This record gives sequence, C-alpha cells and structure tokens, in this order.
Amino acid sequence: MTLRAENVSLLLGDGDEQIKALDQVSIEIAAGELVVVLGPSGAGKSSLLAVCGGLRTPTTGRVWIDGTDITGLKPAVLTKLRRDQIGFVFQQSNLVPSLSALDQLLLLVHMQGRKPRADDRAKALALLEEVGMAEKKNRRGNQLSGGERQRVGIARAFMTDPSLLLVDEPTSMLDTQRGHAIVELLRRACHDHKVATMMVTHDRGVLDVADRVLEIRDGRLGGASEDATVEMPRIVDAAH
Amino acid sequence: MFIALRDLAYAKGRFALMALVIALIAFLMTFLTGLAAGLIKNNISGLMELDVSHIAFEFDDKPTYRNTMIERDQWEEWAQQPGVKKLEPMGHTVFTARTQRDDPLELVLWGLAPGSLIEPEVFDGDQLGGVSNGVIVSNLLVERDGVQMGDTITLDRVLTELVVIGIAEERNIGHIPIIYAPLAKWQEATYGPPGGPPPGEKLPDVVFDFVSILALQLEEDVTPEQIVAIDDELGTSTLDRAAFYAASTGYIEEVRTVQIIQVFLFLISAVVIGAFFSIWTIQRTKEIGLVKALGASNGYLLRDALGQALILMAIGVVLGLALGLWSGQAFMQSGRPFMFESDKIVQAMTLLVTAGLLGGALSIRRITSVDPIIALGQEQ
Repeated sequence: MTLRAENVSLLLGDGDEQIKALDQVSIEIAAGELVVVLGPSGAGKSSLLAVCGGLRTPTTGRVWIDGTDITGLKPAVLTKLRRDQIGFVFQQSNLVPSLSALDQLLLLVHMQGRKPRADDRAKALALLEEVGMAEKKNRRGNQLSGGERQRVGIARAFMTDPSLLLVDEPTSMLDTQRGHAIVELLRRACHDHKVATMMVTHDRGVLDVADRVLEIRDGRLGGASEDATVEMPRIVDAAH
Repeated sequence: MFIALRDLAYAKGRFALMALVIALIAFLMTFLTGLAAGLIKNNISGLMELDVSHIAFEFDDKPTYRNTMIERDQWEEWAQQPGVKKLEPMGHTVFTARTQRDDPLELVLWGLAPGSLIEPEVFDGDQLGGVSNGVIVSNLLVERDGVQMGDTITLDRVLTELVVIGIAEERNIGHIPIIYAPLAKWQEATYGPPGGPPPGEKLPDVVFDFVSILALQLEEDVTPEQIVAIDDELGTSTLDRAAFYAASTGYIEEVRTVQIIQVFLFLISAVVIGAFFSIWTIQRTKEIGLVKALGASNGYLLRDALGQALILMAIGVVLGLALGLWSGQAFMQSGRPFMFESDKIVQAMTLLVTAGLLGGALSIRRITSVDPIIALGQEQ
C-alpha cells in the first residue's frame, strides 16, 4: 500500500478556539489508484491532504508512505520526502510566477541539488507534451489560462516520479468542461504512471474519474451526509 | 540560483530601480573615499613624505606644529639617546608673503639642514644649499599661485627675502603649501629682527639655538615606554606617524567627518537593501510556501535569495564604482583635492557589499518562518 493513514486525528488552534479538523481518519491508497475525497468547505479535506503530505503532523494516529512511518520524522526529512516521493497539484494559481512552464518542472530537479541535464529537459518536455502544454513551454504563469496552469501543475507533479500524488481542488477555478478535462487528465496520468492518487474536492461533477470516492464531513471520513442542503454522494466502492 | 536569476529577469523593473539606488550609494562611497584621500593628501602630504618614524615636539598634552619650540640642548641630548638612527632639527612657521609681482601667498616655511633626510627631491631646479636664501617650493604654489622659478618671495612682517631655486611635488601641511628653506634662513626669519641683521652685523648666536620640532628615525625596537622616559627627561612630546599626522590642524576633524558620512552610507546601504528584500520576501510569501511544499529546504531558498542579493549588490556596486571613478577623475583634473587609492576603494566597496548582504540576510531569514501549509490555502 502506497499511502496508509490509521486513526489520524488533527486538532487545530488553542484552548477554546481548538477545533478537530480530522477525527480518527483511516485511509489506504494503492499504487495506480485514484481516490476522490469529497466534502464541503471546512470538512477537513485540506487537513487530510496536509497530514498525508507531511505538511502537518497529526495529533494522534500514524501515516505511512511506501511503508515509512512519516509521523515522527524531522522537518528536514519530511521536506526531502515531499521533494522525492510526493507530487502535489494545488489550486490553479500555484505556479512560481517568474518561471516558464518548462522551468516549473526543472525546478524540482534543481531542488534535488543538481543542474538539470538534457535528459531532465527531455523528460520535462515529454510530461508537458502529455498534458498538451509542450508548445507553451516558455510561457510564464501569467501568460497561461487557468486550465493551462493546472495542466502545468499536473506535469510538474510527475517530474520526480512520485509514488503518491496529492491533488487539492483541481477544478475549483475552472468551468465544468475544463474542470472535467483536467480530472480526466489526472486519471489517465495516475493510471499510466501507477501513482497512488488522493484528490480532494467539493465538486461532485468529477466523481466519474475516481476508482473510489470517500466522503469527508466534520473531519470524519466515510460518514453519511447530515446536511440536507448539500447533497453528498454515498461512498462508492472502487471498480476494482 | 534557479529562481533568483529568473526573478531578476521577471521583475527587472523593480530590481533595476534597486540596483540604481545601490549604484548611487556606491558612487557616493567611491567619491567620498577619493575625496577623503585627496583631503588627507592635501592636508598632510608634507608629513606623509617625511622618511621618519617619529616627530618630537616641545612638551604639551596636545602638541601642535604652530606652538612648539625646542632648544639646542634638547636636540643634542635627543641625538645621544639609544635607538636614535637619525635626528633632524626642523623649523615650522606659517607666513603670509608676496612675490615680486605683489601676488599674496600663504605658506608654511620649513627650515631644515640642506641635504638632510627631510629635504624633498626637486623635479625642477636645484636642491638646497647653493644659495643661502634659496628655497624649494611646493608645486601647489606654482600651479595655483603662479610662483615661478627665480621668483623672490618676501615674507610679511619680517621682510625676509627668499629666492625660488627648486620646485618639488605638491607638499602641504594643514592645506597650506610648504616652502623648504635652509635651517639658518628659517631661524633668521622666525627669531631674527625684521629685515635681517643691520648691515655689517651678524645675528646673535642664540637665534640659531631654537627649532620647532625634531624629525626622528628611531630603531624599531625602541618601545613607547622608552620614548616616554626620554620625553620626561628632555621635556619633549614625541609622536609616532599616526599621531604626528593628527597633530596637523584640521586633520582629525576632516577624517572623522568623512568617516562618519561613510558609516552612515554603510548603514543606509544595509537598511535600504534590508527593506527592499524584506518587502520582496513578504510579497513572495505564497510562492515561498509553494516551493517549500514542493520540497525546497530553507537552505536552498536562503542560498537562492542571498545569491540574488549578491548579484543585485554586485551590479549596483560596479555601476556606482564606474560612475565614481569617472566623476572623480573629472574632479581631480579640475584641481580639487581628490585621490584614488585602490586598496581603500576596494575596502569601501567590500564593506558596502557586506553591509548590504547583512541587511538582506536579516530580511531574507523571514523565509525560514514561512509554513508550506499556505500552499494548501491554510493559515500558518
């Protein structure tokens, strides 16, 4: 199992202000599997992503990535883990403003402590080709549309051959058609690269790409919707 | 410096403006350094050229060249002290004077034994000794005041007549050009009656028993304690080179003024660079969080940002230095006190870059406190 989280709870804030962002959450994702975690704003989606990506340390519980317990790792080790084993796709605006599309990918190579070589460049170009952005490789973020920026973000996430891909609201700033194209691209990439993928979203229109859909509400994973105003889907088992 | 170089190209307007500010500071620093060196040379070039290790004055808490008188007994006893390699009695008096064309002059008359170690090399004319009232003049008198070889200079009040027999490189003290005269002529002008001795008479011997200071070449192993002991015994105050420069009128004040301006420029540089990078880092907070979330370490980002600051400083300093050297050259050619001393300029530029980097580093360390969680839209 690429990602395994067991009884993870996360308390945020202090004293009376303290809230339970995650409550006894357990989840497993295998290589090549795309799991969508669906929930409304404030349900705990991003907190789950942060804990699984080593950006937050859970208050209780444990998280394993490729069999390594990341719960007690030092910040420097977590940084290296994120760099080498985890791919992130953030909401659309998260590109480094001064870098071209190609440089967004090569930055990850540089962060590993080496100068990008010809084969790194070829790999980056192939990934941009895969997401349909090769022709715009020299454009910066502000010269790209929202959908194009998201495509570059997806290509970047695969640059270091991660074993785990964490995707944060990929369609939040896109119209339905473009949003669907992006999640379809993610599904294809996840399966082609055999990467365990967790995508958190509030958008029910993207569920058809998921191998499995889990619902999150009030920090609990898999609970049934109690909010009549938000029509939540039932937990859908993977088609494996 | 993967991001740093691309940032420079991306936000070139902002960085160009900042480089311009640094260039102006570097220009001021270069110009001030040259001006300081020029002022120092203009003030004490006469002292700088003396091949001596110490100068002995009449005992005083704060000896000055204008208020010192040493008797023959004192200098003869000084000469007998252990560790004295050479000793030259010297006279120093400030005079106003006129040329035969009635051009007014202000000058310092130095009296010295012809052929002594303190006599300057002339580049035109003759050394001292051939004519009893023959003098060597500082080139400043020639270039600024129009004094010429063969001119007769008459000292005001005492009416002593001096004839220009040689011209040396510019030598001043307290910004006043020096005229080098034989010691006896200086003693006559300083202690004798106006107009010299009556016809057919000689000046009394006592006139020749006084000088102003003693130029000393001491052995290197002579300790300050030994010098103090000699001073106590002989009633003198002996100063080393740094101290006898400082004894020149206005020298300390001028040097300190320039130094204070330089210190302010270093501080301004640190604050300006620090403020710029502080704002720049705050503006980049989201980007820094993103790159950290992607796996960049603090060290990676700090190196990148410091490299950026260094490049910015280097561009600004090179521009400012070029502008400073160019304008300094023009300033110098107009006859104003200015001098390039490469070691001092390099030192000033190094300090400027260091101050800027220090300011930048203090601002950039904010990078370490950025939490990558902000890449997910959450608060730190």
